[in-house]
Amino acid sequence: MIPDDLKETLQRQIAATDHPREQVMDVVFILQDRFGYLSDPLLEEVAALVGMTPLEVEEIATFYEFIYRKPVGRHVIHVCDGVVCWMLEYQSVLDYLRSKLGIDYGQTTDDGRFTLLPTCCLGYCDRAPAMMIDRKIYGRLTPERIDEILGKLR
Amino acid sequence: MPKLMIDDRKIEVAPGVKVIAAAEQAGIVIPRFCYHPALGSVGACRLCAVKFLDGPVRGLQMSCMVEARDGMVISSTDDEAVDFRRFVIELLMRNHPHDCPVCDEGGYCLLQDETIAGGHAMRRSMGKKRTHRDQYIGELVQHEMNRCIQCYRCQRFYQDYCGYRDFGVMGSASRVYFGRYADGALENPFSGNLIDICPTGVLTDKPARFKGRRWDFQRAPSICIHCSLGCSITVNARYRELVRVEARRNDDINGHFICDRGRYGFAFANHPDRPRQARINGRDTSYEEAIQTTTQRLSEIARTLGPDSIACLSSSRAGVETQMSLKFLTRSQGWRQPGCFVDRSEQNSVTAAVGRLTPERVVSLGEIEKADLILVIGVDPILEAPMLALAMRQAQRAGAGIIILNPQPVSVPFAYDHRPISPDDLCSTLQKWTRSISSQTRTESHFVEKHEEYRGPETPSVPCPLPPVDSLLQNSRRPMIVCGTNIVGTAIIHAAADLARDIHSDCRFPGLFYVLPGPNAFGAAFASAGGKSFSDILPDIETGNIKALILVEADPIFQFPDQERVKNAVKQLDLLVVLDYVPSRSVGFAGQSLAEMVSPAPLHVVIPTLTHFETQASFINQEGRLQQTTPVHVNGLPMSQLTGGKHPPRKFRSDVPGAGARAAWQVLSELEAVLSSTPADSITFADIWYRIGLAWNISVENRTEIPGNLRILSTTVESEPMTEHYRDD
Amino acid sequence: MQILFQNRQPDRIASLEEYRNSGGYEALTLALKKYTRAEVQQLALDAVLLGRGGAGFPAGRKWMTVAESAPFPRYMVCNADEMEPGTFKDRVLIHTDPHQIIEGMIIVGYSVLAEKGIVFIRTSYENAARIMEQEIVRAKEAGFLGKNILGSGFSMEIAVHRSAGRYICGENTAQMRAIEGKRANPTQPPPYATEKGIWGLPTVTHNVETLACIPHILRHGPEWFKSLAATPTAAGTKLYCVSGRVNRPGCFELPMGTRLSEIIEDHAGGMQEGYQFKACLPGGASTRFLPKSFYDIEMDFDAMKQAGHRLGTGSIIVFDHKTCLVAATLNMIEFFARESCGWCTPCREGLPYIREILSRIESGEGCNDDIPQLRRMCRYLCNTYCALAPGAVSPVESLLTYFEDDVQEHIRQRKCPFK
Ligand SMILES: Cc1cc2nc3c(=O)[nH]c(=O)nc-3n(C[C@H](O)[C@H](O)[C@H](O)COP(=O)(O)O)c2cc1C
Ligand code: SF4
Ligand code: FES
Repeated sequence: MIPDDLKETLQRQIAATDHPREQVMDVVFILQDRFGYLSDPLLEEVAALVGMTPLEVEEIATFYEFIYRKPVGRHVIHVCDGVVCWMLEYQSVLDYLRSKLGIDYGQTTDDGRFTLLPTCCLGYCDRAPAMMIDRKIYGRLTPERIDEILGKLR
Repeated sequence: MPKLMIDDRKIEVAPGVKVIAAAEQAGIVIPRFCYHPALGSVGACRLCAVKFLDGPVRGLQMSCMVEARDGMVISSTDDEAVDFRRFVIELLMRNHPHDCPVCDEGGYCLLQDETIAGGHAMRRSMGKKRTHRDQYIGELVQHEMNRCIQCYRCQRFYQDYCGYRDFGVMGSASRVYFGRYADGALENPFSGNLIDICPTGVLTDKPARFKGRRWDFQRAPSICIHCSLGCSITVNARYRELVRVEARRNDDINGHFICDRGRYGFAFANHPDRPRQARINGRDTSYEEAIQTTTQRLSEIARTLGPDSIACLSSSRAGVETQMSLKFLTRSQGWRQPGCFVDRSEQNSVTAAVGRLTPERVVSLGEIEKADLILVIGVDPILEAPMLALAMRQAQRAGAGIIILNPQPVSVPFAYDHRPISPDDLCSTLQKWTRSISSQTRTESHFVEKHEEYRGPETPSVPCPLPPVDSLLQNSRRPMIVCGTNIVGTAIIHAAADLARDIHSDCRFPGLFYVLPGPNAFGAAFASAGGKSFSDILPDIETGNIKALILVEADPIFQFPDQERVKNAVKQLDLLVVLDYVPSRSVGFAGQSLAEMVSPAPLHVVIPTLTHFETQASFINQEGRLQQTTPVHVNGLPMSQLTGGKHPPRKFRSDVPGAGARAAWQVLSELEAVLSSTPADSITFADIWYRIGLAWNISVENRTEIPGNLRILSTTVESEPMTEHYRDD
Repeated sequence: MQILFQNRQPDRIASLEEYRNSGGYEALTLALKKYTRAEVQQLALDAVLLGRGGAGFPAGRKWMTVAESAPFPRYMVCNADEMEPGTFKDRVLIHTDPHQIIEGMIIVGYSVLAEKGIVFIRTSYENAARIMEQEIVRAKEAGFLGKNILGSGFSMEIAVHRSAGRYICGENTAQMRAIEGKRANPTQPPPYATEKGIWGLPTVTHNVETLACIPHILRHGPEWFKSLAATPTAAGTKLYCVSGRVNRPGCFELPMGTRLSEIIEDHAGGMQEGYQFKACLPGGASTRFLPKSFYDIEMDFDAMKQAGHRLGTGSIIVFDHKTCLVAATLNMIEFFARESCGWCTPCREGLPYIREILSRIESGEGCNDDIPQLRRMCRYLCNTYCALAPGAVSPVESLLTYFEDDVQEHIRQRKCPFK
């Protein structure tokens, strides 16, 4: 699944560390950014690259919040449900997103553009309410701002 | 040595012992889930809380995480500790299904016990229970994830203790899941221990599912006979059927665990084709008739052709009593001495190994774990003695280096230093090291300190560079020489023993550990002293010099490689007597009668014998340890075979159907008595041991129950000289 | 007095030049050329530099536990996981003046001879991760990193490790496992991380803010650092984050020990129009609620401890009188239950149980037995493997201590009185 040139880059990156295992999450992130989510075949290739068994990769991959083991949309919207955002209009942001996209948490829009997921405090409480899309943060959300942000994402 | 008080009991323990283990030494068992003596402490379940009332540590603490120290005053019954433990149980039961009635763990479930003991009986939580999907993890272990209490024992056993990497823990928080990446059979040849280790019913014995409750089973301590290590097991039977085998703790040998072969390899005892009735030429007959026919024909042959025309063969799977009874029989009749091996070179190898084990050098499997350097010569541990591989892994986890001398790499669950020495050079290499070390002065440094960086269970079977073997041996305090007897010849067996002998010094205490081909190969070496292997008597059968062959729990007719030759040889016999408990080739000729197979056919007498599950039997393991099994049930047709798997019949009868078998030594003693015209009906187990004691010049005080720590070594017992009759070709 | 924020500019990070112009990397030169490693350690100890990651452990003491004979390579980890709800100071610091963090790492690295530096950074701080990566390259080009730094013979490399997102990864022992590419379950000392940390090698972990203080201490001395604080026993400045129902939420560098009221009123612009202060969490979600009666408390490690509270990360979350604290607590328990690593029973099973009870109370289905049961759980959840669960129950326990009436009202009215 991984193209040869990317594989070589990854192999070089892994070879440069003392413990190949240390690189497992970095490799997963690179592949996830490229392919959208960590599918079984990808996971198995990661395992082979870093010298782990698929189970060992799965043990780690399933531990974390931002590794997607199921297909997701092109953009994953993580709405912050941390206590500060919760206090400051989290519910209306979520309601707006739900009705705008017609999906609930854990779902993907029919056009495959967006997946909606919650996330814990993003560390942008000074700009609550906030959300994260493709590891980029958007704060001080209002319906207008959400429209604007989503409009730019194809 | 720290002195402390636990529940008003004073105890003194070794330094470094955790409070939970210290309490156990004083007879106080503190509740626990995650702690296991073999797996150590991880402080996960939090059930072992006790109150530290005085001393260096105070307050509510986990007894598995705190080392016993001087002056501690500890209470395991303190109100707060008890309430905390009740709380932990309440939390665990919140998600545990109430499926005890259909759970195979029911009745010997640690969770049930601790729930009752902890006093949690009322469910207060109103939440939904967490549920999981189960996985197919093979035919041996059943997976029922909903019952999991997350003690992490399985994962720690599987990955850390055993070094296998296909089962583990996934997810996080309250969604942790113990299983495999995908459905499929577990790769770990020790996977069955998961059943013993899991404190609840997540991992249960799959073949034994729904066969009965623990309290329904007849249970008895026993010994595994699947390799020469002789691990301790507990066997469970119900309705005359062997149902399951569990590991039995034995710190000298197998510790807490056994391998899967040992756990699941009991089907032979329930085999539907198992011989249960005496047979003459394929026709069922009475035991008495079989004995009479046999003795008559034997007397005839001895009279007409001389006692040399009768040959007997037992095996390394037969118990000591059987092997020795055969020896007594041949001796009393003046026949040829019995053999115990199919092949000459095997007899030579085993005899050489047994001859070289001395009290100073011999070590048990348990001591392998304490080695700091292990040299493995010509053994494939997982194949020949699985638990040896696990013991070596534990040694390595504690810092030992492992060097494997084998032409090809072997598959073992630990990192090792592979020295691919060709079989031709092996002997001279060993001799070279022996010379090199015996001539060097001793050094004080230890292997462990010097080569710490080479440790690492993380990278199984990645060979790592190590310095020359002789200098490693030189620097080791507890080197162990592990040597096989299967693919290596006597020269290497002797070279290994020489090495162990000559590297012994004031600061070096080497151990010598042979792996033998069979649970009682050691006894076979004694019993076959002066006798010949099957391959050596075969020419005499072919030329007609041997006219009667008695096979006792031996199957050379199947095991001898040249089957055509055996078939032709059998035609020359007048009488073939087979005593066995398995439907072997020699017993059954694969469903055909002997007459259908060969012509002219000899008279074919089959007398069924008992397995070690049905009679007391003794085995000497590869380190000379004499161990005994206890019968778990009476022999007879399993109820499931009698009723076709249906409910036990409601009609009663006074006999046990299919109970025609006798212990092989009993049959042999009876043959001896009839042939010698002495009374036959009074030969007991104690009588046999009286004779064995005389033969070996050992005193066994209680002849019906021999202690498990008695070592029978060639240097300590008297037997006929165990010469190697033949050189290696 | 802006020390860590001296180069702070709106929406722009300070460049290497700006940092150097303000005295940056002088401390490193001092450390490598003037001081012995023991002297560096002593300076930090004398300056009473307490860890800013939440535990407040003396930094110098931590370095001293790395034995002279300990094996190599040794690790220096910068903990930029910052997943404590309400906390964002490390992010602001990285976006303000990243080089003081890098310089701090190199100085600590030198003091314990750690040649491998790792910045452990959370997923949502991707921007900060890129800044660090970029500035590490610049520091290297300028000769502050790499082989033989400033001719001293000491070498160090720093790499950025991105977390895939779990609060527990901020706990330093769990973090070490995460860096190794293993499941991030905490481990219990002994052995301590400074003896056997990453891959069994000595590892020193510090919070971003702690590291940023170090160059300044070396340059100006411990006495100066101590004089920065507002209270006699404290030392240095503190980055206080303020969020919630205030007019100007943000991160402020103030003398350690500044009064809560001053921080909220003078710096965060006071309460929003129409809202009154009801309570705050002084140091992230894993600290106890401070009711109005503590409004004037001095925000330093000692004073908070004496008052039976914890400074934590000094991240103040301000709750107003119209916000239901039961619901707020439920929200935080939701977070902690989700973020538990799943290792020990009280945390893994207890937090969901607390969540169950709290959500019952919040939705008006609570009963009187729930309060003692919650109290019991708060007490017992303090007996866990790591500090996550004790932190997690702090809001619950303090809710019951200071706002039991609110809880009772929920049960009595069979609904949330704030809705
Ligand atoms: C559950 C938990 C989460 C933590 N998260 C963080 C964190 O995000 N950032 C941090 O610097 N320290 C965190 N800590 C504290 C660290 O374990 C550690 O004490 C700290 O990084 C040491 O740095 P310091 O001495 O500079 O404070 C956390 C501790 C716990 C128990
Ligand atoms: S190691 Fe050998 S003796 Fe032990 S249980 Fe396994 S097969 Fe049986
Ligand atoms: S046995 Fe001590 S915590 Fe599990």
